[in-house]
Amino acid sequence: MKIPCNGSWLKIFLGGLLAGGVLAAVLAWGMRVTDSRPFCASCHVMQEAAVTHKASTHAALACNECHSPANLLVKLPFKAKEGLRDVIANMQGRDAPLLPGVATRDVINENCKSCHSATNMNVASMDAKPYCTDCHRNVAHMRSKPISTRTVAHD
Amino acid sequence: MTSRFIHGSCIVLLFLGLTTLSGCDDVDTKLQTPTYSTNLKEDETRISVFEKDFPLQYASYMKNNESEVMTEYKGSVPFRKNDNVNPLPRGWKHAQPYLKNLWLGYPFMYEYNEARGHTHAVTDFVNIDRINRYAVKGTLPATCWNCKTPKMMSWIKEYGDAFWSKDVNAFRGKEAINAMDETIGCANCHDPRTMELRPYSEPLKDWLKRSGKDWSALSRNEKRSLVCAQCHVEYYFTHKDNGPAGRPVFPWDKGFNPEDMYQYYKEHGPKGADGRSTPFADWTHAASGVPMIKMQHPDFEMFQDGPHGAAGVACADCHMPYQRVDGKKVSSHWMTSPLKDPELRACRQCHADKTADYLRERVLYTQKKSFEQLLLAQEASVRAHEAVRLANAWNGEKDPRHDELMAEAREMVRKGQLFWDYVSAENSVGFHNPAKTLDTLMTSLECSNKAVALAAQATRYGISPALEGDIKEIVPPILEFSRKMQQDPAVLQTNPWLKLLPVLPTAEQVWQGQEQVSAR
Repeated sequence: MKIPCNGSWLKIFLGGLLAGGVLAAVLAWGMRVTDSRPFCASCHVMQEAAVTHKASTHAALACNECHSPANLLVKLPFKAKEGLRDVIANMQGRDAPLLPGVATRDVINENCKSCHSATNMNVASMDAKPYCTDCHRNVAHMRSKPISTRTVAHD
Repeated sequence: MTSRFIHGSCIVLLFLGLTTLSGCDDVDTKLQTPTYSTNLKEDETRISVFEKDFPLQYASYMKNNESEVMTEYKGSVPFRKNDNVNPLPRGWKHAQPYLKNLWLGYPFMYEYNEARGHTHAVTDFVNIDRINRYAVKGTLPATCWNCKTPKMMSWIKEYGDAFWSKDVNAFRGKEAINAMDETIGCANCHDPRTMELRPYSEPLKDWLKRSGKDWSALSRNEKRSLVCAQCHVEYYFTHKDNGPAGRPVFPWDKGFNPEDMYQYYKEHGPKGADGRSTPFADWTHAASGVPMIKMQHPDFEMFQDGPHGAAGVACADCHMPYQRVDGKKVSSHWMTSPLKDPELRACRQCHADKTADYLRERVLYTQKKSFEQLLLAQEASVRAHEAVRLANAWNGEKDPRHDELMAEAREMVRKGQLFWDYVSAENSVGFHNPAKTLDTLMTSLECSNKAVALAAQATRYGISPALEGDIKEIVPPILEFSRKMQQDPAVLQTNPWLKLLPVLPTAEQVWQGQEQVSAR
């Protein structure tokens, strides 16, 4: 049997494979970039969160290592939903929400546990307080520091 | 058709790609404040000329005109702070009924009201009865203008140190100052050319110099409190023996606490025969004859080592919270009670995990205790004045150490009053520094009680029976008093302490606000 090695089907197949690979790479790159602090901070309302992140012990991690689920199947719709809401709020000139919603708080807390599980293996540290940051308060963007260390006016 | 679709898709993809790439610059952790360059002059004093360039800040500043809302202990209705009898706007449930007694012989016995927005500063100034309006001269120094207007800068430039001891009423008329446009305003805190924070205040600049601080080297965080500390501080006027007469001084050289100030004021009075300065006194109490110190709104001194101040939280963090207006983030310039906001947004910039109700209750937790103890300390202080007054007039048997005991008793009256006044005059009812507030009131009470005991001992307890019982029956609170009422001998018979005041000569009102309505 002669295998067609220069037929148009193969070209289409290889071309499609290549295109698919490029697309997957672009999407993966896009997902990565849009997890990161520079992208998040491109909206000015996120400046305070970005500055306190960069000054913190978690500076080398991306925003979404805390702020979105790690599981890709959950992460994709979560990012789309959060992104859409933030874009609309920002277009309307509204402030970023004063407090993160319950969904975000829960996601963040799971991410605390997924990196720091070993530290907490032998203690019931999730029993007394609902969230890790109820004790580790300043992980929540250095909220107890003076305002001038966190933000400035802008227009 | 197909090619248009592909073209369209390419453009959309390109746009999305560029948008993604546009977020490639990381933030700078060195926060840069916005810079401005205006066409205004350095010595601009009118508020209205700033409106065009800074409409958002101007609009928020004009909210200071609000003068109706009360909180539990504070608010913006200028009620009379001694009046717990009449309804608003004259009185308020949480007033201090003994203030006129405790300030007997000092202008504060005529009128002392709850403070309100900066925009009213000059208006309230020209209507207060503390400044004499029954003669052309106000009988207080022009230093009184120091914290009321940015015009201070022009006046000091024109007159130098001769300004302070001029009469306050020399600058009162409409030709001297525009009450609404030249009240406390932009230029008191901002350089009009760049809008950078800058001090206009001579006494604050003096203190910076004395303590080796350079404004330009201070952090933005320190400046966010120090612009307020230009005025929200205790001060006194220099005696002519010690420098330019009437020049204002912040008595901070020994520290910011009541004991530090008490020690500071053991000097800085007129020079004695030996060339050393005697204790400073603001006035001599008309009942007890004790040389007194008056405390004035030591907000900065109270705050700076409190739970917030010591942690580096600035005045502006709570009183000028960032807000978003028209899509822009600007500092609120409505300097008022943070408790007016039902959401307590200013607090929740930091206390994000707390509800507004919880935070409000925590403020009241301190304020209620502070206010109740303040009233008790004031009652003890009245009894101390009365004890010294009775001992002064005592003709019966005396202790061999009488003079020594009486000197100590007077000292304790003075110290006890300085201590409660440090709390009373401060505007947070304890919240800015709960522990210092309650500790200061305890010490005040102790000093006043000591004064009573020493005076009693000096008279071999001869005055003790007269001091038994409810102080409010022995020395009733003076509810109503004014310069006009002091012209009427009958009024002075209505209270045992008012009898101790001289009758003022009958005179018509010369000044009404900024208008001179009579020639003498």
